[in-house]
Amino acid sequence: MAAIKAEHLHKTFRIPHEKRTTIFETLAGAFKPPMYENFHALKDINFTVEEGEALGIIGDNGSGKSTLLKIIAKILRPSSGSVTALKKLTPFLELGVGFQMDLTAVENVKIYATIMGMKKREINDKLDSIIEFAGLEKFKDTKLKNFSSGMQVRLAFSTAIQTEPEILLMDEVLAVGDMEFQQKCLSVLEQYRKGGITIIFVSHDLSYVRRFCDRTLLLNHGIQVALGKTNEVIDKYVYGKQDEIIVGVENADLENDSDLFQDDKIVVDNTRRGDQKIEIKNVEFYDKFGNLSSRFNSFDQMTIRIFYCAYEKIFDPIFGIALYSEKGENLFGTNTELKNVVIDSIEGKGYIDLQIKSISMLSGRFLLTVGIDSLTHHPYDWHDKKYYFDVISTSRDAGIFDVPCKWVI
Amino acid sequence: MIFKHLEELYSYRNLIWQLAWSEFKLRYKYSMLGYFWSLLEPLLMLIVLYVVFSHLMKIPVEHYQLFLFVGIILWGFLSRATNFGVSSIVGKAGIVKKIYFPRDILVISSCITALLMSIFESLVFIMFMIFYKIPISINLAYAPLILLSLCIISLGLSLALSALNVFYRDVQFIWQVILQVGFYITPILYTLDIFPKDLQKFILLNPIARIIISARNTIIYSSPARMEDLLFMLISSIIFLLVGYIIFFRLEPKFAEEI
Repeated sequence: MAAIKAEHLHKTFRIPHEKRTTIFETLAGAFKPPMYENFHALKDINFTVEEGEALGIIGDNGSGKSTLLKIIAKILRPSSGSVTALKKLTPFLELGVGFQMDLTAVENVKIYATIMGMKKREINDKLDSIIEFAGLEKFKDTKLKNFSSGMQVRLAFSTAIQTEPEILLMDEVLAVGDMEFQQKCLSVLEQYRKGGITIIFVSHDLSYVRRFCDRTLLLNHGIQVALGKTNEVIDKYVYGKQDEIIVGVENADLENDSDLFQDDKIVVDNTRRGDQKIEIKNVEFYDKFGNLSSRFNSFDQMTIRIFYCAYEKIFDPIFGIALYSEKGENLFGTNTELKNVVIDSIEGKGYIDLQIKSISMLSGRFLLTVGIDSLTHHPYDWHDKKYYFDVISTSRDAGIFDVPCKWVI
Repeated sequence: MIFKHLEELYSYRNLIWQLAWSEFKLRYKYSMLGYFWSLLEPLLMLIVLYVVFSHLMKIPVEHYQLFLFVGIILWGFLSRATNFGVSSIVGKAGIVKKIYFPRDILVISSCITALLMSIFESLVFIMFMIFYKIPISINLAYAPLILLSLCIISLGLSLALSALNVFYRDVQFIWQVILQVGFYITPILYTLDIFPKDLQKFILLNPIARIIISARNTIIYSSPARMEDLLFMLISSIIFLLVGYIIFFRLEPKFAEEI
């Protein structure tokens, strides 16, 4: 049975060029018709969530994820179309909605629990365990304004999880708090999932989505791009951005020159050197499906293709690359000489591939330097940190790169 | 539809009460003597107005201090309820943007907060009644009906004002001015008799005027309320509530976006 059904959902925001917020302004501007910009936040969204299923919603910032969630939660009204929820919705859009700084912990728990839809009896029964779970027994009659923000979040969280949701709407709640708190959130989410509760989960963190969601909805600029099995949709999200790659690489020039290299005090001219007897024409990245991409999942296969053009016959060229973190730290470098690859001679146009079996970086943006040298280390062409690609984590380990390891007791 | 909404409100009764009660506590918690101070305000006003106007009034009024007190408490309720009401949606933007419940709950609970505060003030009034040995008559039975219509009018006004204030933030300031004017054109300080007959008719178009006059008659002067006044009150309170709700529900879908 479907727990939530969304049909032909559209949402348009009218954004006035100049906002009139008072009667005075409205009267003063009565003869000047207000100018509006229509922003189509959601376009024709259709999905159903079965009972007990977990649906993930992913997409870039501004793709309409939160708008969609707010419409499901009945906070916003759709411009057209409908959402029907056949069961009680419990939204976790923000923790501690309605907290009053001047009331005590106990009073706030009562109000918050009521807002979250708990019955009076339930609240009285669970009050002690809520305070205990938050570890705030000593401070239960302390005003909230004297709590640290961590204590407030703990109080809100332990109250929120006492609600017995039928449909849970979750929006990046995990993003707040430290590691320990995130772990707590995850174990609660795990419990809800085992308990057969319908969950709609919006997150940037693909590893959470992969772990919890049966199916996933991918939004891009308000358009429903994909809906299906989580793994397939995540692949599509990470690799399905062909349109933007070309733009991305071209932008890299500008971005690198202005932002990154000024910090490093490297003059713009230094980003390219060499006598250009061979020119590097372009560098492209290919994903595991052989498609052009600029975003990759960690541990996936990747190919870096360097296009060159040799204007005369060149003997013994050496192709090399170097990887940098966004901060400019050199992470890795290699060339054909180090790998004992001998290229006798090249002439005219061609390309060379560097195949990476498994991307060992976890997440972040990585800059790539590409160069062609002679055997005597005289540079033909050298593009310093001109190219970049993004890696998106699919594991929950922390840091820049993966170290293959295991725990043994 | 109305029935369905009432049912929904009923299921949220605990929330209405929690919001109203916590707001009530918040109003007084800032000081140790909070409850005491809140009584002092209407009392001081009563004393000042009494000293000034008992000399100004040409026609002597029986129990003028009580006469004034009824007016001050009832008008005080209207002004407080609508003042809380006008900012009840805007002031709770954090809630409105993050969670759903029928939005009129915020307005209703703010009116209940005002009601709680006024009931608290009325305790002093009751002590006054006892002190001046005001007899209690059967006509007191009209009082609940009169007070109810005041509550409904206040709620209707609050609903309209709170919704309008989301879109036009100067509504709350304009309303302050209207309340100021209202205080003087409503027979709070004076009796109707000081005006010529046709002006009286004009003043009686204001339902609050009729409410205050009838409340005085039934509570202080042991005389029955006039049928005409009662009807006028009830009909106008229904109109206020209806118009209030119509405005509120027309604007309500855009609250979360505009706030």
